Amino acid sequence: MELRFVKSVLLLLLPLLCGCGNGDWQLGEAKKNVVMVEVTSQTWDYRLPWNPGTVSSARGAGFVIDRKRILTNAHVVSGARYLTVQREADPRKYQGKVLFVAHDCDLALLEVEDPEFFRGTSDLPIGGIPELESVVSVYGFPIGGDRLTVTRGVVSRIDYNSYTHSGRESHLAIQIDAAINPGNSGGPVMQNDKVVGVAFQGFRGDVAQNVGYMIPTPVIRRFLKDVEDGKYDHYVDIAIRWMALENPAMRGYYHRPNDGLGVVVTDIFSEGSSDGVLEKGDVLLSIDGHPIESDGSVRLDGQPVQLEEIVERKFTGDTVELEVWRNQKLEMKKITLRPAEMFSMYENLYEEPPRYVLYGGLVFQPLTANLMAGLVSGADLRLRQTYTLFGQDQLYRETPEPVILTTVLPDRSNVYLAGLTGQVVREINGKRIRTLADVLPALQLGGERSVIRFEGDQRPAVLKKKEVDQVMPRIMTQYGITQPHRTELGSRRLAKGSYKQEGDSR
Amino acid sequence: MACVVRAENEDSKGSLVRVRASIQPYDQFRPWQKKSPFGLNGTGVVLPGGKVLATAALVANRTEVGLEKPGSAEKCAAEVEAIDYEANLALLQPVDRNFLKGFSGVLLGPALRAGDKTEVWQLERNGEMLRNQAEILSAGVGRYPSDEAGFLVYGVRVSLPKRDDSYTLPLMKDGQLAGMMMGYDRDSQEGTAIPVPMIEHFLKDAADGLYEGFPTLGVSWSPLRDPNLREEVLAPKSGGLLLTRVNPRGTAGRAGLREGDVLISVDGFKLDEDGNYRDPLYGPTAVGNLIRTRPTVGSPAKFRISRAGKEMEMTGTYDRRAREEVSIPTLQFDQAPKYLVVGGLVFQELTGAYLQEWGDKWSERAPQRLVEYFTFQQDKRPDPDKKLVFLSQVLPSPITLGYQQLSGLVLLQLNGQEIKSLAELAKIVDSCTSGNLVFEFRDEPGKLILNAGELPASSEKIGKDYGLRELRRL
Repeated sequence: MELRFVKSVLLLLLPLLCGCGNGDWQLGEAKKNVVMVEVTSQTWDYRLPWNPGTVSSARGAGFVIDRKRILTNAHVVSGARYLTVQREADPRKYQGKVLFVAHDCDLALLEVEDPEFFRGTSDLPIGGIPELESVVSVYGFPIGGDRLTVTRGVVSRIDYNSYTHSGRESHLAIQIDAAINPGNSGGPVMQNDKVVGVAFQGFRGDVAQNVGYMIPTPVIRRFLKDVEDGKYDHYVDIAIRWMALENPAMRGYYHRPNDGLGVVVTDIFSEGSSDGVLEKGDVLLSIDGHPIESDGSVRLDGQPVQLEEIVERKFTGDTVELEVWRNQKLEMKKITLRPAEMFSMYENLYEEPPRYVLYGGLVFQPLTANLMAGLVSGADLRLRQTYTLFGQDQLYRETPEPVILTTVLPDRSNVYLAGLTGQVVREINGKRIRTLADVLPALQLGGERSVIRFEGDQRPAVLKKKEVDQVMPRIMTQYGITQPHRTELGSRRLAKGSYKQEGDSR
Repeated sequence: MACVVRAENEDSKGSLVRVRASIQPYDQFRPWQKKSPFGLNGTGVVLPGGKVLATAALVANRTEVGLEKPGSAEKCAAEVEAIDYEANLALLQPVDRNFLKGFSGVLLGPALRAGDKTEVWQLERNGEMLRNQAEILSAGVGRYPSDEAGFLVYGVRVSLPKRDDSYTLPLMKDGQLAGMMMGYDRDSQEGTAIPVPMIEHFLKDAADGLYEGFPTLGVSWSPLRDPNLREEVLAPKSGGLLLTRVNPRGTAGRAGLREGDVLISVDGFKLDEDGNYRDPLYGPTAVGNLIRTRPTVGSPAKFRISRAGKEMEMTGTYDRRAREEVSIPTLQFDQAPKYLVVGGLVFQELTGAYLQEWGDKWSERAPQRLVEYFTFQQDKRPDPDKKLVFLSQVLPSPITLGYQQLSGLVLLQLNGQEIKSLAELAKIVDSCTSGNLVFEFRDEPGKLILNAGELPASSEKIGKDYGLRELRRL
């Protein structure tokens, strides 16, 4: 599978050397195949998790690829409730549907039921990685008008960059100096009659000028390949941390000659792909046969890229082979790759409704990136530290999903509990709370009172069970809450938690 | 409302003196140097006997303190005889003991209550007195600038004109000292003052030349208003507060109090559900005043508690151990930060002062691991003799190649030996003349290696290149 990529990239890079292609043909193809995507979406309100959220409308771009599918950005269609697509040549708006959405790489595929929509389209072919300083054209429907817009620029930089839509992912991204403005999102970036990227993010004008980013074709191809089985899996992660092996004393300590090769493993995330295979202090010398430079880069198609790029292009269940220097001996280690679910807390959530448990005016919610973003006035220090150190300290082994008392809806039954908002729940009725799913069963335990204890030196919250049963209907009516809890995980996957103790049934 | 009265009576003469402090704090980020100096000008109160009372904030991190007579430019250097940063009070003594001869001095007046009329005195440029009418708005436990728990504080309404030497001003009542102003907001025309009971406690403590400070209980507590919570902790019918954490080293901890106890009374003063006792003067007042201002270090303490529904008496002795015996000190004024440069790696001992160097939002901006150790040290109950040594920065040099970006890393071990202080670290470094120095950190990247043999030459070069006169202060 990897070979396929290497070959295609090599072949596609060649024609770029002869400069620009037939501009007229490319524009014609773009006019036929670039579509305006208009989306009405709903955004959940994590402060009022029972509400269906706020409705907003936005416009982006997309383009027709093979099999009558439209490629666009995930952030254009996330939370879509109603979606139409429109071609430059056809005034009609057709209703579209999201086929697949990949928030981690900000890509989505749409379909349109009405075959009429595709009359006259011709699938835009997907190319390779453009050369630095080569000219590219960006097509889309940015602010300032309603017609198809073309801007041009050169490829400024090819490097890893964060994909802001997901909140935590970094992948290969290509920086171009063509103007990319709101509404360009999802539109194709073309060169020599082929798509070389999808415009997706930029800086605000007051931060930087002429800096726009596109998703390059290796990421696009990976996405298209991933969904071939009918569902999108997450990116896989090698789930280690490593340090450049540049220091001579450090190299000596690890018994490595000064050959400029190798990085040292400094951390292995429990439950991750490398757990049980790699060890701290391992020196990684090559990955799938590519020698690893002491700064952690490997050569791919002649270009230096971070060693993670080898992993990036693989899928769940694929393996990667590492040459490891351990205890002054060379060993080959095979790692079966899988997504790093334990870090999913740091990903922005879009489709899934917020989960919560309401208990006598107390609202419990799992700690998520969305929840943290919703805390406008800044979170309590302990909550913030729990969030920050969750991955680094592998807190997920103990609590795959920290539960927070996010709100106390004022009611005459809970007047003394208002000061406890923002606290991290430790246990309820003696039961350690590790995920939101633990909350409801734990509230059934114990005697006539429910005792909720928090991390740190906070007082416990104590509620009379009978009283809670009595006041729940009143609170739900008063605050317009239609259901007392929503705890289903849906498609989300959490860390397994390596705490398995007696009495814990999970 | 507040009007200005020119002083005519002679009492007010000979009571105030200008205090000129030259301040130069240490640079916590570059611990081998100090920041740029600046001056603070306040008004001190001359006490009978020729000593001068000022706020601690006026003379914190001083290089030099001078006194100047109002009405003349006659000056004299002064020494700080006692200083308490928590209580924000300082006692100054002119180097020339006769400098304030002829000053009658001011006597301490009675404690004031909300509604009392009072005055804030200022000095005009010519030495004349400006007496601004003021009113006590509140008397209760509140925050002091360098204290976390709270002391008795007056809220004062006063309209203060802009004058020199107003960093500290006296609050006066009938020619006697009622308090020291320590904060003022020009917009709301409200300020805060350190009340006389605090000043009395401070002066009494300082009188024997050995300043001990205000005692602390060493507990965290929660009000017990919530009937459900009262039932759960089997609290008595009324009153009492819930101890949510007890430092075993503190006054309460050593007297036998434990987390989960309901504290019913202290030294015979009954506590209500909100943590107030009935003060004979101020009425309901937060327990903080009862346990910090009233007793002194070494005086006996008596607690009545309810544990699992059973009431009992416990006795102990007031002290400051909960505040002083800590791994990471909160306050660190006037003290040069310790540091050790090892071949470009800069190690420091963590203090609250270092973290505050990150600014108002230090808890967000400082390395989160250091914030965690500092803020939650009560959770972890570290050994107070074990200081927290961390790598604060790396001065790039040939032997720190590849380490330049590192900072904020907590050091655990060197060559397998646990590090409990900077001095200990220095000792181990000094004892290694060849082979590897293997530093082990709490976090990523875990280990750093230096070649001990290269250290002497490299240290000398770093000292020269970066202009460090000393590579350590232990």
